[in-house]
Amino acid sequence: MSVRTATLPKKFHQAVESWRDAYIPDYGFLMENWEKGFPHEPRFELCAYREMGMCDEIECGEWKGRPKYTRAADMVPEQAHHVLGALRAQASTEFGSIQQHRLTLARAQDEEEQFWILRMMAEELRHGYQMLHLLVEDDWTSVSKETSAEMFEDILSMNTGSHLLGAFNIDFDSFVDNVVFCALIDRVGKYQLAMQKVSAYKPMAESMPKMLREEAFHLAAGVVPMRRWVKSAAQGDVYVTMDVLRRAVNKWLPRGLEMFGDERGGGTNVRFGLKPMKNAESQRLYREEVGRLLHDLNLRYVRARVKRLSRAAAETLVTEVLADRETREGIRFDDLLRLPHGDFFRRRGVPAFTLVGVEGETFTDLALYLKHLAEQLPESYLAGRDFREYVELLTRVHRGEVTIADATGRMPALRRVGGACSCSKAVRWVRDEPVPAPAPSDIALPPA
Amino acid sequence: MPETASAIHIRPVDELDIDAITGIDEKIGGSYRPEVWERRIGYYLRRDPEASVVAEVGGRVVGFMLGEVRSGDFGLEEPTAWVEVLGVDPQHRGQAIGRLMLEAMLDHFRDEGAKSVRTLVDEEMAEIGGFFRSLGFQPSTLRPFVKPL
Repeated sequence: MSVRTATLPKKFHQAVESWRDAYIPDYGFLMENWEKGFPHEPRFELCAYREMGMCDEIECGEWKGRPKYTRAADMVPEQAHHVLGALRAQASTEFGSIQQHRLTLARAQDEEEQFWILRMMAEELRHGYQMLHLLVEDDWTSVSKETSAEMFEDILSMNTGSHLLGAFNIDFDSFVDNVVFCALIDRVGKYQLAMQKVSAYKPMAESMPKMLREEAFHLAAGVVPMRRWVKSAAQGDVYVTMDVLRRAVNKWLPRGLEMFGDERGGGTNVRFGLKPMKNAESQRLYREEVGRLLHDLNLRYVRARVKRLSRAAAETLVTEVLADRETREGIRFDDLLRLPHGDFFRRRGVPAFTLVGVEGETFTDLALYLKHLAEQLPESYLAGRDFREYVELLTRVHRGEVTIADATGRMPALRRVGGACSCSKAVRWVRDEPVPAPAPSDIALPPA
Repeated sequence: MPETASAIHIRPVDELDIDAITGIDEKIGGSYRPEVWERRIGYYLRRDPEASVVAEVGGRVVGFMLGEVRSGDFGLEEPTAWVEVLGVDPQHRGQAIGRLMLEAMLDHFRDEGAKSVRTLVDEEMAEIGGFFRSLGFQPSTLRPFVKPL
């Protein structure tokens, strides 16, 4: 396979660099220390990579076997509309995650793990750049009233709270969030990228292989520190306990599940040859994968706590303690990580705004459910904007003041209005009404 | 009953394989070394996640082979592939799992432009040496040297 590299036109490239300077202030440190952290590895470059020699024919859906599309204008409008939506959402997530990681990067206790996250942030920037390149390179006027330049500006001006997917509108509270986010939310990204690798829109498919290769490291940048932390927790360290990790998983997994879209949907993407799986199927596979991760972490914890146990004995112990909640070898039920129920703490999809507990138990009393959430989620998260908005909406839903559909449309409940320089924080927050399209931006790009 | 080649699934390694690889290593060597594999798998995933592979039978990882393409080592300026670590669950030996993993890696190495593939095997590990010889590896003029410190 050969790879073609490309850069955005100068004014757009410079706009991304300006954004980078604002949101990755340690970028210079990363590049200065690259050889020290990643010896003999190719240095990071801000560019778009397109893999050549990929499949030329549509690989799934109604038009399977026909030539893939190389231009948006060649697709039927609904199909192009879906591609454009995916492209904007993908770009939003890439830039959004950097804004989140930035907040707590400095709080890492381990320099290596911190440097991994910093590299990951740079690569997410490149992923966003890759999506912007698709946006700018093609002509989307057949499905959008906004020009590519306007859409470009709109994406770069988004901030935590105005991104298109809920997971990217939640502030990080500690470096635990940086790491658990990589392990859980980047894992959704892996699924999305893998599915888009077969996209009937060839430029999208060609963009995926390099992004997927980079994403593999991002997942490791989450999983490896988590494995180290559970070992440390087993040895009695107080920095990151199993309870802290359990709550962080409960915080992020519901948002990860929602990133797949409504469980009833995804058929149109399959029909149009844009993805090979419907939402529910990919969501199920994802949840199973997270279950495997948590199982491995439990094994790591148990074997660090009870060193004489064999792998098989540790497997048995974990299974038994989770099944009957009896303490064995000093390992308590609460010492172990558990996969939250798929309906727990949901605000989108089939179980949105239902009162389902972390183990799938149902509540009828809202106050009891909120108490349950407080016991299951990180304390710092409870004090934040995202949770408050959720509780307010949940309360209104259960008073009958708002329908579930309306409530779903209001999460995220804040959006950007007016113009703002992509490098500034001059974003005004307003309570959002369901709007189909983002407000047009009047941000000026830097002069070419 | 031995697995057929079609029952053996070869795929790129991922971060969730760390535990299984640790388990295979423990079965082979008798030591539980999770830190070693967390570091090593992290390294290979960062370098080139498609170069290293695992073998699955019935959804369980039963073998792994790690390597990459590098340039500039030992005066070898051209892109050179290296097979650096391998392990097969002792219960699944004799089923051509190593060969299948190597073939998958070689396909990737060719795509990456490597002109040759190299490895180092301790002479005392005759079984591994035999494995590579059976797959066309020849002794190299590049000789290993060592000096105790």
